[in-house]
Amino acid sequence: MSQDLGFWAVQTLNALQLSMLLFLLSIGLTVIFGLMHFVNLAHGSLYAFGAYVAASVASVAGFWAGFIAAPIAVAVLGLVLYVTLIKRMRRSGPMPQVLITFGLIFALLDLTRIIWGDLALGIEVPAILSGRVSVLGVEYPAYRLFIIALGAAIYAGLASVLARTQIGAMIRAGVDNDAMASCLGINVERLFFLVFCMGCALAGLAGAVAAPLLSVTPDMGLQILIPTLIVIVIGGLGSLKGAIAGSLIYGFVQTFGAALAPQLSSILIYALLAAVLVTRPTGLFPAKG
Amino acid sequence: MFRHTPLRYATLAVLAAGMFAAAMTAEYFGLEILTEIAILAILVLALDMVAGFGGMVSLCHGALMGVGAYAYAVLAAKAGLAPPVAMAAAIAISGACSWVIGAICARSHGIYFIMATLAFGQMAYSYAFDSAALGGDDGVSGIPRLDLSAIGIDLNDGQSFALFCLLALAAAYGAAVIILRSGLGRSLTGIMHNEQRMRAVGLVTWRVKADVFGLSGMIAGLAGVLAAQHIMFVSPGLLAWTVSGEALVVVILGGLGTLVGPLVGAVLFVLLKHEISNVTPYWHLVVGVILVAVVMSRANGVFGWIEARVARWQAPRVISSRKEQVKNA
Repeated sequence: MSQDLGFWAVQTLNALQLSMLLFLLSIGLTVIFGLMHFVNLAHGSLYAFGAYVAASVASVAGFWAGFIAAPIAVAVLGLVLYVTLIKRMRRSGPMPQVLITFGLIFALLDLTRIIWGDLALGIEVPAILSGRVSVLGVEYPAYRLFIIALGAAIYAGLASVLARTQIGAMIRAGVDNDAMASCLGINVERLFFLVFCMGCALAGLAGAVAAPLLSVTPDMGLQILIPTLIVIVIGGLGSLKGAIAGSLIYGFVQTFGAALAPQLSSILIYALLAAVLVTRPTGLFPAKG
Repeated sequence: MFRHTPLRYATLAVLAAGMFAAAMTAEYFGLEILTEIAILAILVLALDMVAGFGGMVSLCHGALMGVGAYAYAVLAAKAGLAPPVAMAAAIAISGACSWVIGAICARSHGIYFIMATLAFGQMAYSYAFDSAALGGDDGVSGIPRLDLSAIGIDLNDGQSFALFCLLALAAAYGAAVIILRSGLGRSLTGIMHNEQRMRAVGLVTWRVKADVFGLSGMIAGLAGVLAAQHIMFVSPGLLAWTVSGEALVVVILGGLGTLVGPLVGAVLFVLLKHEISNVTPYWHLVVGVILVAVVMSRANGVFGWIEARVARWQAPRVISSRKEQVKNA
């Protein structure tokens, strides 16, 4: 029985770890969508870019330098994209936005191949997190626990910023009704810009965190994109609650599905997504009622 | 509603003549490219039907094509059905899958529709990837081509097969035009412009959407059957969402909602891909930049841009002839 309990504990921790990684990615995407009505399919490419920056910097200056450099580098890339492309596409419909960012996926994919080559890069887990820790009666890698803690900390941080600070109130006002918010004297344009860069930085952070777990390859951005989209569509676009709920649902369904019903696991999550879309077309916790 | 303008007729004539001439003169490699163009063109016709005339931007058409390809592969290579029967069955199966997806997604709009279709496409992809019955990631091989030896044609010959695909493309184009001109197609365009009004008029809008989506899926299934026969092998990669994304790119590069434009787009896309691949391995970068440029320019693709130019060039003449009419009156 204790063995059984251990199995559940490990699977739960695995699910949490996957959820938190997806949360880091989806929160940026969902808030950008909620605030700006902008669909950024290139979010996965930003994540891959972050992973590459982290791997390059880490090979020279160690893991923590890469961990800090990746969000900054991706935020700068986001800034460039915002100024050159996204600002101009803000007012057009979802279709041109999907296409522009689809073009960006292609372009960024090959740019990473040109800069870093086709071979997979790897980075070492930092020494302090390389061991295993005993949790709930099982030995679990410390680095994965670190990801869970990091995701939880960022969720708590974002939740308190959104709920309790003035800038959080401004963001919520912008998501709710951007025209009214700008009438009340909020510089919505600057708010968009800030949120977009923050979202990009979080994508970069996710890339840096994922780099030691997965190998860093040019198509890692494409691979993560679909799960991230599923998370935000299940959760509902634009809300923090939706992002965390969607991430947890995805993480648990995927992990336990693979462990308990391997034949069904791959289509289980898509079936769930279809069910959500049919019954609640705007997701479980949409930003607007 | 879809109309043939003189420009569209002229473009079709040029395309048909060019492709036929290419089929007659090309060597092995040229014929392969021509067949690839014809199959992609059938797929983007199907996509333009729903995206350009119904506002249903689907990211599962690559998967629908894959469903057709897999259905044909399994029925013909594993179940041993005669190729014509397997072809008809495969087209029917992909049409049925498509109708169901269309019916389920009919309530969603905009970005939610795109996501929902993406989800269904990925569902098919994952199923094909993991299913042992479908060969998993090894796919299915040993797929026979249609046997036309009764009328003296050997489709295993590259040239005959290319001509066969061009014929299928012409048939698909004819079918798309007929569907779009029918009451069903006109209702669909009405729904795209104002769904609530069409519902108020008494139309069951989800049925119209699902029906056209199903018909479009059949055309995509035809593309899949031909693709399976062309490479005589199917693998899950055929159903990946990037295939659907590329099809959408072709429709946009050509000109959404013009039906002729996507054909031009398919020719340009495949030729560009091969030309760029000869020069640099980074052809995605070039395609990405071109796509961004086309969308930013706000023209409706290459063909849409030409149509707009021609319309502007003709406009003054129309006005002047009207003035003459007024004078004469």
